Amino acid sequence: MAVQDRDSDEDRTEVLTLDELIATTTDPEPAPAEPSGPTPGGWVARVAVGLVLAWAVLCYPTNVLSPFTVGGVEANAVSEAVIFAVIGLSLNVLIGYVGTISLGHQAFVGIGAFTSAYVVTEMGQEFFIAALVASLVGAAQAALLGAVSLRVTGLYFGLITLSYGIMTQESIFQIESLTGGTAGQAAPRPLGFESDFRYYYLCLLVLALVVFIDWRLMATKGGRALLALRENPRVAATWGINVKAYTVLAFAVSGLFAGLGGALLAHRDLNVVANPFDFRLALVFIMMTVIGGLRNRAGVVAGAAFFALLRNGELLELLRVADVFAKPPISLTAEVMPLVLGPVLLLLTITLFPGGFGQLTSTVGRWLRGGPFRFVKADKEVQITDVRA
Amino acid sequence: MVLAISLSELSRVLVLGIVNGAIYSLIAIGLVLVYKASGVFNFAQGEFGTVAIYGAYAAFSMFHLPYGIGLVVGLAAALAMGLLTERFVIRPLFDAPRVTLLVATAGVALLAIGVEFWRTANNPLRFFDAIVNSPSSLDRVSPFGVAVSDQRLITLAVLAAAAVLLFLFFRSPLGLAVLAASQEPVASELVGVSVRRISTITWGLAALLGGAAGLLYAGGAQFSPGLITGAVLIPGFTAAIVGGITSLPGAAAGGILVGVLQALGSLSTFESIKGASFVSVFVVLLVVLLVRPQGLFASRS
Repeated sequence: MAVQDRDSDEDRTEVLTLDELIATTTDPEPAPAEPSGPTPGGWVARVAVGLVLAWAVLCYPTNVLSPFTVGGVEANAVSEAVIFAVIGLSLNVLIGYVGTISLGHQAFVGIGAFTSAYVVTEMGQEFFIAALVASLVGAAQAALLGAVSLRVTGLYFGLITLSYGIMTQESIFQIESLTGGTAGQAAPRPLGFESDFRYYYLCLLVLALVVFIDWRLMATKGGRALLALRENPRVAATWGINVKAYTVLAFAVSGLFAGLGGALLAHRDLNVVANPFDFRLALVFIMMTVIGGLRNRAGVVAGAAFFALLRNGELLELLRVADVFAKPPISLTAEVMPLVLGPVLLLLTITLFPGGFGQLTSTVGRWLRGGPFRFVKADKEVQITDVRA
Repeated sequence: MVLAISLSELSRVLVLGIVNGAIYSLIAIGLVLVYKASGVFNFAQGEFGTVAIYGAYAAFSMFHLPYGIGLVVGLAAALAMGLLTERFVIRPLFDAPRVTLLVATAGVALLAIGVEFWRTANNPLRFFDAIVNSPSSLDRVSPFGVAVSDQRLITLAVLAAAAVLLFLFFRSPLGLAVLAASQEPVASELVGVSVRRISTITWGLAALLGGAAGLLYAGGAQFSPGLITGAVLIPGFTAAIVGGITSLPGAAAGGILVGVLQALGSLSTFESIKGASFVSVFVVLLVVLLVRPQGLFASRS
């Protein structure tokens, strides 16, 4: 009942401790009380911050329009951040919207990667056709798993996806005629996007497309049906929502995104091998999505970028702390960093901070749109639910 | 495909499967214990084993302790990890959805793997001595011409001992309290059983079992970070599911069954299928969950 008492205390200060944050996750959002918009100075600050953000995404990685020489950033590493964002949005569809879990997402991505490489190298097709085929194959295999998820739910389904991922990695990815065995399959980049910088912009375009599809999906009937179904499939069914069709559809969409992400990943590396698509990668995907903040597009993108850059060591380079961690007393290298730091962040997100990065991006986003700079409280919904378990 | 399986090959595969399956049984029993106590699929179960290996290895190589004491140190490391997980991850999430708990235990496993990689970055592949380390002992027992190492025999013996001990444990007052708490937590609290204490005990037991499985699996072979999670966790889960996830004898039998099925995948007939043993595990899991989710050994649910 302590929670109830705190609820009625409307006019308390907005500085929230983590404990309070948890207590207030059940709060209804208080009515916005600010009467006036920001001052002209405030608008200038907002536009300036917006421009810096746009510059950091669009110009900084490729070193164009830089007032000073930045250097040190690898376009490929930043491309990976963008590709991971696509994959994160794919996983977000499953964990966030459907409320199920995929511990075999590395298989989704790997299938996309190998399909795309196969279509380009062995069948001599264009990259864009290959990416389309990869996303369709990704959607098809995900839809199959979705059909299984109608019968086997919750924890048991998580186990199935885990076993599926390992099986795919050990069996399908080892078939030499499809994947080129240990040597891998060549995956050349499309004409006009050969350089790392241009390929980065291609990845950004795909991310924009995926964000758009995701946004339209969730803003229309299908999205509302999915959310209703995640809350309670039986109630959703009584409202006339076709539970089976929408579940399979959501899986297909997730597989589509993952296949697309896989294709981008393959052609970024110019060569696909089976090794990286192991269980640990699936866990990194889950961590970046959950830490990013489920059902929060900007948060998922931020979380994915954070983990991709952490993995590559770019983040530490940018912060000029790579040496601090790499020196003997700690000797923590960039490759290991996400494995050590990620789980800690994951456990903190789950236990204390259910909104993940999404809470921060929402705060900044609202400020940029002219709102007050105030910490956005974690929505009650922003946590992994398993009503279907 | 011609199904030409010679009898000798089949019997060899059976022995191999049973011997390998003992490890799966040990992990599966731990998984079932935790599932009964906390209702969660413990993805850190395999990592209890790997942590035990690293603990024992550190005792040998850094402090030059004798082998037996090293094993105890390893088990202690696994126990500590199990208790810490229970206290700092499971208990705060007591009322959280089960999938959240699953992700949390996967996080624990990944953290352990990460720390193992971090601390052994210069040389991730190391060698762990077998319990009995004389070369002649390797083929002392060889049913159907399969050389079964002493390490594997000891594993079978440990599995049998664990089964007997657990059987006795669940007849003792404490064991009955554990069973009661897993079936009716609220009613158990009312009759004076501390569900929290039971949870701690169960996680400790599971961690010890996982640690023992790891130490037995690693003996006489090389090990690397995440070894048990990568090699044993999935077959272990499959074994627990095959056994019906709440049945300890079912988990033990399921482990042996999965071991045999996996070994069948290595028959020369299936040589053309890549990773056939992984496919067989996946197919078994899928079929059991789709057709008979209560497990193969459940009488009636």
